[in-house]
Amino acid sequence: MKAPFSPWLDACLPSLRQIVDGLGKEYEYVSILATDSCGYNVSISQASKSVSNSNLTTERGCVIRVCRSGLFSEAAFNDWNPEKPQEVLDRVKKNLAAQFRLLEASGTLVYETPLLSDEPLVLFVEKDVEILPEETDLEALTETMTALSDEGMRTIPGAVDCGIRALSTHISKLFLTKNRFLRQSYVYTEGTVVAFSPSKDGDTKLVYSGVSGCGGTEILEGLKEKLAEAPKTMEEMLSSERVVPGEYEIIADPGIAGLIAHEAFGHGVEMDMFVKKRALGAEYIGKRVGSDLVTMHEGALCAESVTAYAFDDEGTLAGDVTEIDHGILKTGICDALSAARLGVEPTGNGKRQNYSHKVYTRMTNTLFEPGTDSLEDMIASVSHGYLLRGTESGMEDPKHWGIQCIISRGYEIRDGKLTGKVAAPLVMTGYVPDLLGNISMASRDLAVEGNGYCGKGYKEMVKVADGGPYLKTKARLG
Amino acid sequence: MTDKIKNKLIALGPDAWELKETLREGWEFYFIRHRLDQNRVVDTRTIEVVIYRALEDGKYLGSAAGEISPTASDEEIDRLLKDLTFRAGLVKNPFYTLNDKPLPPVSSDVPEPEAMAGDFLKAMTEAAETEEADINSYEIFVSRMTKKYWNSCGVETTFSWPSSMVEVVVNARKDGHEIEIYRNFESGTCDPEQLKQDVEKAMKVGRDRLAAEPMPKAEGIDVLFSGHDAKELYGYFKDRMAASFKVRKLSSWEAGQPICPGQTGDKLTLEALPSLPNSSRNMPVDEEGAAIARRFLIRDGVAENFWGGRMFSQYLGLKESSLVYNVAACGGSCSEEELRQGDYLELVEFSDFQVDPVGGDIAGEIRLGYLHKDGQVRIVTGGSVSGSMTEAMKTMRMSQEQMQVNSWLIPSATRLEGLHITGIV
Repeated sequence: MKAPFSPWLDACLPSLRQIVDGLGKEYEYVSILATDSCGYNVSISQASKSVSNSNLTTERGCVIRVCRSGLFSEAAFNDWNPEKPQEVLDRVKKNLAAQFRLLEASGTLVYETPLLSDEPLVLFVEKDVEILPEETDLEALTETMTALSDEGMRTIPGAVDCGIRALSTHISKLFLTKNRFLRQSYVYTEGTVVAFSPSKDGDTKLVYSGVSGCGGTEILEGLKEKLAEAPKTMEEMLSSERVVPGEYEIIADPGIAGLIAHEAFGHGVEMDMFVKKRALGAEYIGKRVGSDLVTMHEGALCAESVTAYAFDDEGTLAGDVTEIDHGILKTGICDALSAARLGVEPTGNGKRQNYSHKVYTRMTNTLFEPGTDSLEDMIASVSHGYLLRGTESGMEDPKHWGIQCIISRGYEIRDGKLTGKVAAPLVMTGYVPDLLGNISMASRDLAVEGNGYCGKGYKEMVKVADGGPYLKTKARLG
Repeated sequence: MTDKIKNKLIALGPDAWELKETLREGWEFYFIRHRLDQNRVVDTRTIEVVIYRALEDGKYLGSAAGEISPTASDEEIDRLLKDLTFRAGLVKNPFYTLNDKPLPPVSSDVPEPEAMAGDFLKAMTEAAETEEADINSYEIFVSRMTKKYWNSCGVETTFSWPSSMVEVVVNARKDGHEIEIYRNFESGTCDPEQLKQDVEKAMKVGRDRLAAEPMPKAEGIDVLFSGHDAKELYGYFKDRMAASFKVRKLSSWEAGQPICPGQTGDKLTLEALPSLPNSSRNMPVDEEGAAIARRFLIRDGVAENFWGGRMFSQYLGLKESSLVYNVAACGGSCSEEELRQGDYLELVEFSDFQVDPVGGDIAGEIRLGYLHKDGQVRIVTGGSVSGSMTEAMKTMRMSQEQMQVNSWLIPSATRLEGLHITGIV
């Protein structure tokens, strides 16, 4: 079935058109993004259980963007009467006028930006889904999740708690300008398993895994498989030791490869950072930044993941950008305002945390292309190193190309064989061109994970997905 | 809108309910250098309802939470309340009760966003910039927040507080090489002098980083934390004293018992506070209608009071508790100067610094440090620090002097032994 577009947004359309027309008399550019996204967030553990209709991506609200004399301004609101658009017009004009007075009084200068293109475009997309979040049988879901949590307690060694989380959002967005009328409706769903067991050293080990994708509650079926893997992983975590700090040959599994893609050249080529001269990548377009095996894609069209939208939050159609082609940095990704400033085309990467937040250039799906090697051959080629699994977190450094990844665990390899020893946790650090330049093997696999959120600095959390094949390179582990 | 929902809740008559409304009046300004990139007005109303049902003769309490849009029609509200009532029967938690203590009136005197924003706009032009170090870009977020809370036990309150944040990126450059330092300053309103000092300090850190050499091998050396990230060390202790951690068996600490038997370092005191000067989290009442009181969480190295929301607090049998928004940490036995004796690595800047409250793992890539060794100071960058807080707390030492990082008042220097330093040369 198709995920149906929000009837509420459709009902608001005449009013939204009046607002665009009304503001168009005073501003050179006017757009409205209106959202109506519903969902659920269910959490079941031994200690507590909760159910809610809200999660980070459920919302209903509007944001108006206007431009006059090179200055773009926005007003975000969610308390309005669609039958009284004039009230919105009056309120937006009054609030922005107050800001303009303050800016004038403070002598603030404007970073002038060219007007955005407003080429005519009409789009209506409803993506396929099996089970909508609003039609999900939550009674059956909570029973299944409770059974999974109970099973985790029985099967995971020493488990003191086993939490199962499920969330799903049916996203509807409407983007309107004088010439553009875009509507999209799709569903994404994710589920996680997290288990805790105390170790003999007095600390607590954690095992985490998840499923995600563009689709409905049916995606949560995969949680059973994830739970089945948890006992072995916990055994490995409980017997783990600390790594001896140093540089090692590493094999990143597809999840860690995705983390590297995201942190290394995901943030590094967000072109709003080019505008601010905050990214070294701007100086390396056309230059080598990785080995021949490195080809990296970014875009909402790259995978049917949690962030597979049809258009972004500025009304730019989704894309598939080849950022790195056989080791050569080709281009970055760009929101519409940054594109206008840089004189390039936007790539469909203008995203907001929700309607009340500003647009930044943000990642969607960030993926390494697969190679031709087998994992077995890759392991056999390592003299001393680690096979890394389990993403915990990462941090970008686009200005200096440092990279930091916190990784759940590493499986020791000596003389081409897994030794059975596990090191955990691991802090992987390195210099991005070295890390990518040392990629010497890539497997034929390709997996995409979308359980994470990404921040811009320490705020503006959005859903992202990333992945790739198994990759062999070198990195410092601590 | 909330009156309407409240009346519907009373008419529906669930076993218990909560109704919360959060108003945000926000002004935002985004700058590239000192030119305005974009200005924004945010005017939002968030309404949340929680419906509770007593299940199996009061052995269990079920609950379901839902957000109601201010634009929701009567039919939508009725449908949501009906859905929540049903869903509350799906999750069975051992029975607990809502807050029923009446709250005293709260006086809230919060400036208009316009006034606060004007102060920030002015202050950001006053930091001393030079050719070697200046401001790359900054974002100003100013909000007047207002919270309204009602529950079925008759508890209700309304209060406002200011919440602001300035994200600043500064550049430092030398001989054609440029680096950046990222800062995220949170506060209630604008403290122009403090903000100016903080920005200028970030520029000094940037200049030092330009002079830094690659981190050498430094295994076994003590590590001294003196930057804003040091609050993460104390966050570990706060989280381990959360009732939710205790109930989930993620914390083995017991009230009345030392948190680290046999420790030879300083004995930590950790205190929850209703407010700190100009904190962005000065809320007198928590999310569940409990007044926030001054309360020791850890005193002289002994766990005293776990903290948390109603459910987990009652599961632990806590008579008085609330969520915690402002925290003070102290207990140092010597001055910062005394703490800085001998060889040590002072770490002030990370890509990201984390202390995992579950496993106690410490991790961070080093962007700037000062290696104090054999009477010499070398500025260093690169490599990483890792280790275990479970081990490091045994010998942790703290300065008597304190510094405030928004909602945290912590020792100005914290010295840990036994961490692992991965050098890059």
